[in-house]
Amino acid sequence: MPPAATTALAAVDSAALATELASAATRLQIGQPEDWEFVLRNTDYLGVGVLLTVGLTVASILLGFVVGFPAGAVEVYGDGLLKRVVSTAGIVLRGTPIVVILIVMYFVVGVPQINLGVVSISSAMTAGILGLGLRSAAYQSQIFRATLASVDDGQMEAGRSIGLSRFEAVRYVVVPQALRRSIPGFQNEFTIVLKDTSIVFAIGLAELLTRGYDLFSEQTTAVLEVILFISAIYFVLTFTTNRALDRLGDYYAIPEGESA
Amino acid sequence: MSDDEFLTVTDVSKWYGDEQVLHDVSFEMDRGDVTVLIGPSGSGKSTMLRCVNRLAEAQEGSIRLDGEEVLSPDLDVDVLRREVGMVFQGFNLFAHLTAVGNVALGPRRVLGLSEAEARERAEEKLERVGLADQFASYPAELSGGQQQRVGIARALAMEPKLMLFDEPTSALDPELIGEVLEVMHGLVDEGMTMLVVTHEMSFARAVADEIVFLDGGHVVERGPPDQLFERPEKERTGRFLERIASHD
Repeated sequence: MPPAATTALAAVDSAALATELASAATRLQIGQPEDWEFVLRNTDYLGVGVLLTVGLTVASILLGFVVGFPAGAVEVYGDGLLKRVVSTAGIVLRGTPIVVILIVMYFVVGVPQINLGVVSISSAMTAGILGLGLRSAAYQSQIFRATLASVDDGQMEAGRSIGLSRFEAVRYVVVPQALRRSIPGFQNEFTIVLKDTSIVFAIGLAELLTRGYDLFSEQTTAVLEVILFISAIYFVLTFTTNRALDRLGDYYAIPEGESA
Repeated sequence: MSDDEFLTVTDVSKWYGDEQVLHDVSFEMDRGDVTVLIGPSGSGKSTMLRCVNRLAEAQEGSIRLDGEEVLSPDLDVDVLRREVGMVFQGFNLFAHLTAVGNVALGPRRVLGLSEAEARERAEEKLERVGLADQFASYPAELSGGQQQRVGIARALAMEPKLMLFDEPTSALDPELIGEVLEVMHGLVDEGMTMLVVTHEMSFARAVADEIVFLDGGHVVERGPPDQLFERPEKERTGRFLERIASHD
């Protein structure tokens, strides 16, 4: 990740940023000073929510990629039963409300707690990651299906003409080009997953937005301040990540230049 | 049919759905021969060419290359294509790779050369097509003529025993055709066995050992260039050559 993004992320739960935002908001006469003070007193509480939100997002996006990329490839290159199973699973996941997916994971499937030595992941968290991750896989599969199919057939043909197998031609010729074209769609997907993590409240996880609810239920005059503060955090997270992905796209962009 | 022939195409037929695009096409080539397929668009010449490396599947007939039946269902097409280079009308360079990357991919991944060996071979082939100064250029940074020369180098890097050219200059601006033909002339001089689909009649005339004229999927006439160009036996051949000549 570029330095700008890491610094910005590190700054998210720093008190300095919070104070600065709060005083700016007060100067602009947005909200009441005592309500901003209330928000600032509770940054630690919100900070835990940020960690949960970021953790859920990262884990879900990764799971979504690991499952969604091969699924997209199967939809383009596969055939028979496997392709039917994969595309049907995708349709079901995309057609089911995320709350339902999460409730099924948690209460019906009943995923267990996972112990990874140092950390242990609660069963609610596991259900959250699986639910959000599999749904993201269903959407990511469509990003990759589209970009894999968008690579000109001549590329595959040229790969096969030098003796690459179909799999090798996909791997060395088509995939590198398709991945580059996937970045814009992936940026959207990341943003959607980040904001949809708030739905894990349905299985009892208190991430950023849920913690915001808790706070303004406690001090009902501070609704605007809490919401603005949380929105700023979401903005910083989406903005920095999107910029980081922009940079990634620029870094791997295929040079075009002036035709010689 | 003689066993001495390097490439023997016998009664090859192909259908796309109900439409027959090749009708019992036959011709032979010796090692080192240059055979040029000519004919109007839609005559099946590109399809015939593509049947030789199985990018298109012929349904009937036989194609024997160096003693092996190309159309056999047991044949490993990847092994076949290792030995048969192909140059495309639209270049089809790997868009995400530099010139060296394009040429080195086959030697690296198919022939299993080391990174350094593959690179060395790629540079050598690019030098041979006159692109020593474009090793690090991406396809989109190159002119059409340069791209096609990279395409030729990419095929040569596999050290093929037969080279297929599918209208290699048809997508090029007129002023860029010469540099590609020059490289092809060089290959002819080195004794490369080449099967070429082209509309470049002066090239065909200069280098071909045999011209095969296809129309509507049939071989109308074939023979050495002098005979075919000067004294075509069939009226259709004559008409086609006149039409082509009026555009030259």
